[in-house]
Amino acid sequence: MEKRQSELCLEILRRFNKSGILKDFILIGSWCVYFYKDYFSNVPYIDQATIKTRDIDFLINNPSGIREEVNVPLLLKDLGFVTTFKGARGYLKLDHPDLLLEFLVPEKGKGTDKPVHLPRLGMNAVALRFLSFLSANTIKVRVEDFYVTLPHPANFALHKLIIFQRRLKQDKAVKDRNIAIEILKSLIDKGESSIIKQVFNSIPKKWQGRIIKGLQTAKEPEILKILQ
Amino acid sequence: MRGVIKGVLAEELENSLRMKREYEEALKRLLQGCLAKRKIRGHEYFYLVKRVDNKVKYIYKGKVSEEEIKKYGEAKVMRAKYRKLLSQVKKQIRFLRGSLRGKEAV
Repeated sequence: MEKRQSELCLEILRRFNKSGILKDFILIGSWCVYFYKDYFSNVPYIDQATIKTRDIDFLINNPSGIREEVNVPLLLKDLGFVTTFKGARGYLKLDHPDLLLEFLVPEKGKGTDKPVHLPRLGMNAVALRFLSFLSANTIKVRVEDFYVTLPHPANFALHKLIIFQRRLKQDKAVKDRNIAIEILKSLIDKGESSIIKQVFNSIPKKWQGRIIKGLQTAKEPEILKILQ
Repeated sequence: MRGVIKGVLAEELENSLRMKREYEEALKRLLQGCLAKRKIRGHEYFYLVKRVDNKVKYIYKGKVSEEEIKKYGEAKVMRAKYRKLLSQVKKQIRFLRGSLRGKEAV
């Protein structure tokens, strides 16, 4: 399934790129770990270190900035994706036996539990907290003849350390924590401890506290030493 | 607490079960049947071939617009695709149920 899944993921990215909307998306979630392999090409890094689920999440940082009019469900229909509306509020999800696509936007102000409509893309997105932290510092990785935007691994890992403590499902929390630690260790091996520290210093004290607490729970003195 | 892998498998099973329902519904929503062209005394006529109570019926449609022919053609392609994916989902469900059946922590 691995090859089929990666091929489908690439086809989605190709289509987004061709229709001009890929530049508006940031790939987040466990699939980032797969695409970070080039970033960590000079250090021991296993892109399969984490359990990659079928969920592939795209963050739309600036929904009002989208210029192209592309009906995303229609764009992917012939690949066999079916549109579903999740939960009582009707969050859109595009399902395929190999991949499940979800679109997210950063939550602003007081927040809402209603989906955010994206009429230009013919769909809606889920608004979630802390996502602006992922879009604040991004990297671009080359895939074939185009580029995919990903959160910087430091932001990705520290974000996971914040959210794992908010997870209701314990097993998902452990998965998030493990990914975060693996990525942070690879950054340390790459000699980018200063970037971890820099990103850590740029976030609110409350978030910093959560990260420290998370690392203490995970018993990771090496990483804690860098941050403190 | 469940093991991480078991938790992921349980979530994937939930997703696959939802997907199975979705593909079954998507198949129901598609135009039913296929158009069959017949040439009678030099003229082309169409029949809609579909199953009614487990029997294949040929329903006379007469002359059909290009647009309708295209719609039935698209439905045929999508039906084949959805059926293939539904079969894939069913295999996933069997595999995931089997994997989760064990009592040991994974």
